[in-house]
Amino acid sequence: MKSSFAKYKKFLLLMICASVLSAPEAAAQGLDPNALLKPPTDTWPTYNGDYSGRRYSSLDQINSENINSLTLAWVFRTPTHQLKSTPLVVNGIMYFTSPDHVWAIDARFGRQIWHYQRKSEGDHIGNRGVAMYKGNIYVETPDAHLVCLNAKDGTVKWDIVLADEKLGYFATMAPLVVKDHIIAGVSGDVTDIPGFLVSIDPETGKEQWKWFTQPRPGEPGSETWPKDSDAILHGGGMTWMTGTYDPQLNLLYWGTGNPNPVLAGEGRMGDNLFTCTIVALNPDTGKLIWNFQPSPHDVHDWDAVQTPVLFDAGYKGKTRKLLAQASRNGFYFLLDRTTGEHLTTAPFIETTWSSGIDAKGRPAAKPEATPTPDGALVSPGSDGATNWMAPSFDPQTDLFYVNARRLFSIYYNTVDKTKPEGWGGRDRNLWANSTIRALDYRTGKLVWNHELGDGESIAGILTTAGHLLFTADNAGNLLALDPSTGKTLWHLNVGAHLVASPMTYQLGGRQYLIVPIQDTLYAFALPEKL
Amino acid sequence: MPNWKSAVATSALFVYTFTLAPGALSQQPDKQEAAAAADRGKAAFSQSCGFCHGPDATGARGPDLVRSSLVAHDVKGDLIGPVVREGRPDKGMPPLPLTPEQIADVATFLHARAKEALESSGVPNTYPVEKLLTGNTDKGKAFFEGAGGCKNCHSPTGDLAGVAKKYPPIELQAHMLYPDDKEVPATVTLPTGEQVSGMLAHLDDFVVGLRVGDKTGWYRSFRRKDVKLEIKDPLTAHRELLPKLASADIHNLFAYINTLK
Repeated sequence: MKSSFAKYKKFLLLMICASVLSAPEAAAQGLDPNALLKPPTDTWPTYNGDYSGRRYSSLDQINSENINSLTLAWVFRTPTHQLKSTPLVVNGIMYFTSPDHVWAIDARFGRQIWHYQRKSEGDHIGNRGVAMYKGNIYVETPDAHLVCLNAKDGTVKWDIVLADEKLGYFATMAPLVVKDHIIAGVSGDVTDIPGFLVSIDPETGKEQWKWFTQPRPGEPGSETWPKDSDAILHGGGMTWMTGTYDPQLNLLYWGTGNPNPVLAGEGRMGDNLFTCTIVALNPDTGKLIWNFQPSPHDVHDWDAVQTPVLFDAGYKGKTRKLLAQASRNGFYFLLDRTTGEHLTTAPFIETTWSSGIDAKGRPAAKPEATPTPDGALVSPGSDGATNWMAPSFDPQTDLFYVNARRLFSIYYNTVDKTKPEGWGGRDRNLWANSTIRALDYRTGKLVWNHELGDGESIAGILTTAGHLLFTADNAGNLLALDPSTGKTLWHLNVGAHLVASPMTYQLGGRQYLIVPIQDTLYAFALPEKL
Repeated sequence: MPNWKSAVATSALFVYTFTLAPGALSQQPDKQEAAAAADRGKAAFSQSCGFCHGPDATGARGPDLVRSSLVAHDVKGDLIGPVVREGRPDKGMPPLPLTPEQIADVATFLHARAKEALESSGVPNTYPVEKLLTGNTDKGKAFFEGAGGCKNCHSPTGDLAGVAKKYPPIELQAHMLYPDDKEVPATVTLPTGEQVSGMLAHLDDFVVGLRVGDKTGWYRSFRRKDVKLEIKDPLTAHRELLPKLASADIHNLFAYINTLK
């Protein structure tokens, strides 16, 4: 009996050892794309944390009761200019980027595991992070390549060209994994090149489909471009922010960039579909299912790439599948994400450019807001009433949060040739200030307003079940606000600006709040029990 | 500059650096030679290629060459040269009898055109004043003295005397709308009733910093929750005016301000 029990115990011990050894190893092999459907709280496995783009975490260890005991857990400094990326965390490892760089670090202790560097031509304005599929990490590069790295050691598995850097393309966005697709977008509006989204096979790097943001001549939408001109083939519409995805509907949602030439629209009269548009695509085929255009015939660089945030909530007595976007032009849009039906359009900040809402729910532009050779004073300026910094939707408060800017600028159309090319002008910023605003998601109406000070904030937002909203002001203070009232609960002078969006995860029983400040990642947590 | 304005300052900096660079570079001899080559190339292009590609290369019967992939990949005529010499018979383009020197000049011209499009995202400080002078001086003066309320703080013979000489016209227009270089006076009242006045050096929700007296004074800071703060921002009137200004007001006022030399 004793010996058989001893045998059994030994067997049990072996089993435990085997499972302890093998389970983490199996897990450490990477990220099953099915895990993206309901991410565990010890991960942040995709740019927005999950497919919805809500930037809401169900973690509540750090909460409104204990926020004033928040302390620094670790700091990771990089030899780079600005960290604009949102890190991914999978199996205890954090992956984040800056242009030409990817780091893998220990998500609990902030120690480097590997660092990948690849020098490149092209625009180095920023990089928003990586995507992960099984044991692979995917990063876009300033010369518009997509590089697949081994997540274990950062070695290159393959490197493919997404677009021609010599034509003015570059790439900044964090790719999105949907099933067996790596969805990648491109940047570049200084030259007149067409935008597109491309789906890449995660293993081979081969193209699965490509969807251009301008229809080919003769296709639906092409009637919104002039005939007998090459405008439609050079119409811009970059896809430079990570979209969202509804697994039940199997629809991919993406915001597209501004048309080209940017400020000189006289050579592209018409609405210019599908630029400055929210589109729903089939992720398996790239087929367009529906579209809604926040800024028809844009001449102010107000792209509509801001996160299309997905949530299911009540609207006029029924629970509906909704999509909300606070767009760069200063208007909030609420759509039915199954059909694309327009529900609400409302300004989320004061602007001067619109004369009203048209029958389709799109803001109509005043003629005098068009850039002119002698200058047109318009709010917002080309940097937008908001931009790429993350908005958030908190299901505990039912509020939609946006970083909103009042921004006056004078726009010049400087074209003195018959055919505008490139930007064809520019605006000069006069004055800006910024606020965090909480909106009623149904109406877009203001619920509370928290001023951030003079200047253009590019701080993103994170909300958590701990009844906290994390962001930063324009004076270098990190802020935790009460998401119900906008009141400040905690602040810390971190000496520089938050130029990305905060994120959070819980490992080893400890919740971490990660905030990139300029070139440094700061990890905050509650004090460890000694 | 007080650091509470630094976010706007940073975004403006991009425009300044970008717009100043071409002017500074044009002083260099190799740039002058490139400009001369581009001029020669333009003449040759206009004569031999302009009929199909448009005199400014933006396309006519033939394609736009400013947006051409071949031109984007060309290095000193290595791709453009063969096309000119051999033509593209399949697309109806004949070979053209240009000399190697002319081909080099045409390549320089096409690259200059592409660069011009690339750099059209900046408004240079050399932007011609004629383009800005679309308003009526008398109406601008009337606005200054009347509806605009400008004379409440400004005088054409006082603070604004010679202002049009101080800035390039494009800067003058921006400065007229929002002169973002003013010191902001502020007064802090302590719980004891003591008052400290000076120029604002830092401001957020939690801390106010002052240079006591004037901008050369010693720095003092206070917790916002401990003091009463009164700010006399001289730009309040400008901020209130911005959303109300009609296009005609701006251009009439600029025409008037531009006379203050």
